[in-house]
Amino acid sequence: MFGWFLRGAGSRVKTTRYPPEFDSNVGISPGRPIATQFASSQEADNAAVQCPTQAITAHDNMADINVSRCVHCMACSHGEAAMKWQNDYDWATLSGAGASTTTRPFKKSLHIRLVDSGSCDAVIQEIKQLAKPYYNMHKLGFFITPTPRHADVLMVAGPVTSHMRLALKKTYDAMPGPKWVLAVGNCAISGCVFAPSFMAAGTVSSVIPVDVQVPGCPPPPLAILHGLLVLTGRAQEAPPHVTTTIAEVPL
Amino acid sequence: MNIAEFFFLLVLLLSVAGAVISALAPAQWTGRILAICGTSAATALLIAAAIILAGHESIRVDLWRLPVRGMLRLRVDSVSAFFMLALGISFLPAYWFSDGYMRRYLAHYDPRSFNIFFHLLLAACALVLAAGDVISFLLAWRIMSGLATFPITLEHRQDENRRASYLFLAMNEAGIIISTVGLLWMVALAGGHTGFNALHGSLRHISPAARWAIFLIVFFGFSVKAGLIPLSSWLPQAHPVAPANMSAIMSGCLLNFGIYGIVRFDAIILPPISAGPGLVVLVVGALSALIGILYATIDNDMKKMLAHSSIENLGIIAANVGMGMVFTAYHLPVLAAIAYVVAMYHMINHSAYKTLLFIAAGAIDQQTGTRDMNQLGGLLKRMPMLAALFLVGALAIAALPPLNGFVSEWLTLQTILRSEEFTSHFSRVVFALCGAGLALTAALAVTCFVKAFAMSFLGPAHSEKASRALEPAKSARISMAILALACILLGIGPTWVIPTINRAMKPLAANLAANALVPPFFSHPHGNKDFSPGFMHDFAHIGAGIGRNIIPARGLVVLHQGGKSNPVVYAMSTFYMVGVLALIIFTTWLFVRWGTRRRTITISEPWAGGLRRLAPDMTYSATGFSNPVRVIFRSIFGPAIREDSSTAVAGHFRTAISKQRDDGYIVDRLFLRPLTATVNYAAKLLAKIHKPGMVNAYAAWVLAVLLVILVINRLL
Ligand code: SF4
Repeated sequence: MFGWFLRGAGSRVKTTRYPPEFDSNVGISPGRPIATQFASSQEADNAAVQCPTQAITAHDNMADINVSRCVHCMACSHGEAAMKWQNDYDWATLSGAGASTTTRPFKKSLHIRLVDSGSCDAVIQEIKQLAKPYYNMHKLGFFITPTPRHADVLMVAGPVTSHMRLALKKTYDAMPGPKWVLAVGNCAISGCVFAPSFMAAGTVSSVIPVDVQVPGCPPPPLAILHGLLVLTGRAQEAPPHVTTTIAEVPL
Repeated sequence: MNIAEFFFLLVLLLSVAGAVISALAPAQWTGRILAICGTSAATALLIAAAIILAGHESIRVDLWRLPVRGMLRLRVDSVSAFFMLALGISFLPAYWFSDGYMRRYLAHYDPRSFNIFFHLLLAACALVLAAGDVISFLLAWRIMSGLATFPITLEHRQDENRRASYLFLAMNEAGIIISTVGLLWMVALAGGHTGFNALHGSLRHISPAARWAIFLIVFFGFSVKAGLIPLSSWLPQAHPVAPANMSAIMSGCLLNFGIYGIVRFDAIILPPISAGPGLVVLVVGALSALIGILYATIDNDMKKMLAHSSIENLGIIAANVGMGMVFTAYHLPVLAAIAYVVAMYHMINHSAYKTLLFIAAGAIDQQTGTRDMNQLGGLLKRMPMLAALFLVGALAIAALPPLNGFVSEWLTLQTILRSEEFTSHFSRVVFALCGAGLALTAALAVTCFVKAFAMSFLGPAHSEKASRALEPAKSARISMAILALACILLGIGPTWVIPTINRAMKPLAANLAANALVPPFFSHPHGNKDFSPGFMHDFAHIGAGIGRNIIPARGLVVLHQGGKSNPVVYAMSTFYMVGVLALIIFTTWLFVRWGTRRRTITISEPWAGGLRRLAPDMTYSATGFSNPVRVIFRSIFGPAIREDSSTAVAGHFRTAISKQRDDGYIVDRLFLRPLTATVNYAAKLLAKIHKPGMVNAYAAWVLAVLLVILVINRLL
């Protein structure tokens, strides 16, 4: 009858050791390409052409990459004009001017309200993983709350469709200060392939100020966790050689 | 003629004068006349009652001698005077309230006839209490009961109103007939004496069986008037349809007459010698309390809710009377005295807060045009004064300290715990079960009135009219303020009230309750035979004697001593509680202010899940609030879902099915409907005798009945 208990007790700790150790389990992250130098400008052009979402741009023999458009399709990971590939997940960055990390009493614990502003649900699925034993966000002091009145952080996924625009704004307004916003996924950062269009604003920052961006389509759970850690000042943001080219598509 | 008699005569004269003036004056004046004549009559009644209660005088008038059954007498002793006090407390504000309230009927009805009956009702009520013998009591009761029927039907053009007043009339008539039988039987057993005092003396030695029978007949006869289960189904029908001032009177004082009858005849004239009758009253009371509050909690019609809550309160009063009867039967005079005093305390409390709440419900109805809590909401901002007064009433009826309901309910529960004094296990078990029922009642009462206040006064307005409502007329606010003041005073001054009630209830309580509950040890800190010096010292030490030199009472603490096996003293002081509460609230406020002095306050709209617009219908409704109670006690409510597909097309393809939920009243379901079905069945059987046209068969039946009567007469 207590088999399940003994089995559980015998299996020891399964939770990721991510902060502070690096988790290199298979499948923990899809990885993403980084800017690559090719022998000739022709090869760089070839690399750019193979990307379905136009995340790669070539100038001279350099193939640069806009991470907020990459959907990890891996078309550029092999073949003639293969990009360099990086299998980490520390992708979150502070979003430029006006972005701030949490202040003193919010370093150790945060309550998070999640808003799905019209996402394809991929990001939501990844966020859901955070509450499961493997990722166990609670041990780091992060909790999901159902009401914005109790929330410190607003986590937004999706390209802000016009139906969700007002709801997003109202949710943000309903939160008591001090408050922070985490834009999760490429859609929320740049709109990616969906926006700007007739039905979506495209970026969260066009509606409410964003503090931390987590690129990825979808970002793996550890990347989202990294975003939260960056927000609380407990982790470094992604190294600059990847971030320089995160660009918001103008509306 | 002494002063009390003078004021009593004044009451009768003013009432009759009011009726005459109402008949002659134009319809627009009705409210004013009620406010002037009625209020002065009620004031005169209060003065008369106060004079008698102060013990200076009493009313003893012999009217005239009847040819068969002796003298018609008016005798007002202290018990009657106390009921008169409750009468005045309820009538005075109700009359005053009429000034602004009657205007709403002028457009559609002529309220003059209402006025005539409403004026005469006070005189009739006073006469019932003043009656000193069975015959005049029954006469006055008849008149009072008949007069009370007419004001209910002011809006006589609506079917519902006529039906309700017929039900009221029919059930009260039945009650009168039953109690008349009981009372006349008493007179017969007493050898023809009709005076109350003479009855008491000459009924001492009747057989236990006759005692039981008379008790049952009288109790159930009067329990119609008191609205106790299972004879309470007229209450939730008649209260909502009556004008608010009449419903206030019905709840605040007409129901008390049932208790008066029970106390007068079952406790004073024929005191119980066995525990049985008391237990019956206790169980009926506790059941009424529980069923009343359950239905009150789920009802969304404000007046209906208050009517059900009246059943609850009358149940608590009856339970106390029952406890008093049991304690008397077990020769525990101190506890009996406490129980009777608590019953009277709760009765006067109920008169005060229920009148207040009915007036408030009437005022809300007048200003918004609805009594449905699902249609109200947000009235706090529109009528803050009424909201504050309603809140006082709601807190009082929910028995929250330091208001008056708390004192009497606390004492009720403390008294019921004293069943450990009994030797009979059966009585103990009954007391324990009833105690549990009453405790549940007290808890549900809080739910009920949280709902009533929250759904009517807080949140968004649920209807157009509610969002535009204005504060009611000044007369309504003043009359409610008087009652709110009464609630507060009765709440913080139990140490004044208990000795007064004890004096009034002298025939039942001697001076025992006051000595037990409010012992004179604060006024005589040394040398008190009931308490050891050590105990008194300890008590004085924790501050129980503060202010004893300046406040003219026996101290400010109500004590309830445990028995021998449980020698604990429970103490309670609402007076101190007020001080402590004020202190706590003030310091909390101070701390909060200090802690948040640097905060900026932003006001944003209510969180509604990011909806474009929050429609009032989407917010929490009264039905939703009480639904947990509805679900938990489903077996009591016995809901029936009725399906109506009468709009179906061609019999086969249904286009619309309406489902309706019918919460049948449990008393109707289990008692009244089976009863009427049985009577109908019996009538149908009898109808078979009436074979049309057989004259000789009729003659044979008449002969048979005559024979039977003769035989019975011979045998007796
Ligand atoms: S992985 Fe796919 S989407 Fe990303 S850069 Fe390469 S080709 Fe473009």
